[in-house]
Amino acid sequence: MHIMEGFLPWQWCIVWWLIALPCLAFGVWQLKKVMEKDREALPLLGVTGGFIFILSSLKLPSVTGSCSHPTGTGLSAICFGPWITSVVCAIVLLFQSLFLAHGGLSVLGANIVSMGIVGPLVGYAIYRLLKDTSVNIFLTVFLATALADMFTYFTTSLELALAYPAEVGGFGTSFVMFMAIFAVTQVPLAIVEGIVLALVFKYIVALKPDILIRMKVFSEAQINKARGEA
Amino acid sequence: MFEELLEDVAQKNGLREVNTYIKLAAGLSAIVLCLLSTGYASPLFIALVLSATVLLLARVELRTYAELFLVPLWFALMSAIVIVLISGGEHVFWSWDPLPFLSLSVSRESINTGFFILCRVIGSMSALLFIALTTPMTDLFVVMRNARVPDFVIDLAMIIYRTIFFLLDQVQQIYRAQVMRLGYSGWRESIHTFAMMCGAAFITSWDAGDDLVRAMDARCYDGKFALLGENRPVELRPLAALVTFIIVASVAVVASQGMTLL
Repeated sequence: MHIMEGFLPWQWCIVWWLIALPCLAFGVWQLKKVMEKDREALPLLGVTGGFIFILSSLKLPSVTGSCSHPTGTGLSAICFGPWITSVVCAIVLLFQSLFLAHGGLSVLGANIVSMGIVGPLVGYAIYRLLKDTSVNIFLTVFLATALADMFTYFTTSLELALAYPAEVGGFGTSFVMFMAIFAVTQVPLAIVEGIVLALVFKYIVALKPDILIRMKVFSEAQINKARGEA
Repeated sequence: MFEELLEDVAQKNGLREVNTYIKLAAGLSAIVLCLLSTGYASPLFIALVLSATVLLLARVELRTYAELFLVPLWFALMSAIVIVLISGGEHVFWSWDPLPFLSLSVSRESINTGFFILCRVIGSMSALLFIALTTPMTDLFVVMRNARVPDFVIDLAMIIYRTIFFLLDQVQQIYRAQVMRLGYSGWRESIHTFAMMCGAAFITSWDAGDDLVRAMDARCYDGKFALLGENRPVELRPLAALVTFIIVASVAVVASQGMTLL
């Protein structure tokens, strides 16, 4: 779950906002370029945003009492890159805090950093690493989305641990504690999310491959090969 | 499967007609005051005032409000317990060292810290819910435009806003149809069915988005939604209430400085 309103002390709220804002500014600049070049991308951006909203609203209560949810940011990171994803995520997180009281305004910066910046960056890095190798593209999508989800929670634990270090063992101990609470639900959930998004990607490849090729997400040969498999 | 969207409540709440900036100012100042307070009493006071406003003036049902409050509260409680266990202190009531690098303890100071954080979450959650339940998103788009957020970002936000409702609609229909056909009868089927639903909803909403943009392009859409900013006048009574609230809450923050539970 996103960090909720009021949980972080104000100093940390400001720190995370300061980290998030330059990334957002860069994302807005990139978004402007994409919008000018290819207006057809607008509906896809809207759908990925809506998709992130719905996936990350599916709160699953876990044994430890905390809530976990999928993030859905990996797919957007693959299609549009991490910076535009951070803008989409910022909009989605704002909507979530105002529609569902999920997350918050003062902690929005911290949530943008974990879900909108670190997660997508990791997903995108994995996609770039595996893109031109012989690895199956669905496996690439699976790994990128599952790890984007894992690293989002990794960062959330980091944010919580930095704000509330343990007395004995300091930051490290509390990081391990928060990680342990999340890991129970988050590891299986990240795997499920990877599988689900890989299957969603399969539908896109089967039904609307043209935009993937035009946006150079994967090359035509790779898509054709995947369509043969699908 | 999905909780009620606050947006539905916000569209018909009792404070709908009050100037947006007054409502925003009340919510945001309450969040700031909660974050600045150092004792547990002032966030609770803010929560009390704002909850009363939401329930009595905005006439939101108690049940809806309680349900909305409980989920984050549960999460906050769990995280507060972790903080109590790891933060240590001088007056130790109980301690346990299961691993060499891990030491859990409950002390007077840690209970105070945990309880204070819990109260701060309650206070600022009530402020967030106050904004969410009294101000519909459509009003906030106007605020965003006045705040000079770039047009294409607002544009994207509005497309996402529309897609969310479209997707929710799709997902509910497909989900019902899938449940009737026993799509969620087993673990493996569930994943497959869920992915199928996501895929189908994704592609239909994408098509709908394509159609929307094409239809708007045909009507001279230039990447800028026309926003009808309804200008609600700033009335004296809400303004007076806002000023009183900020003053009284600030006094509460100062007066309850360093107040602890134990």
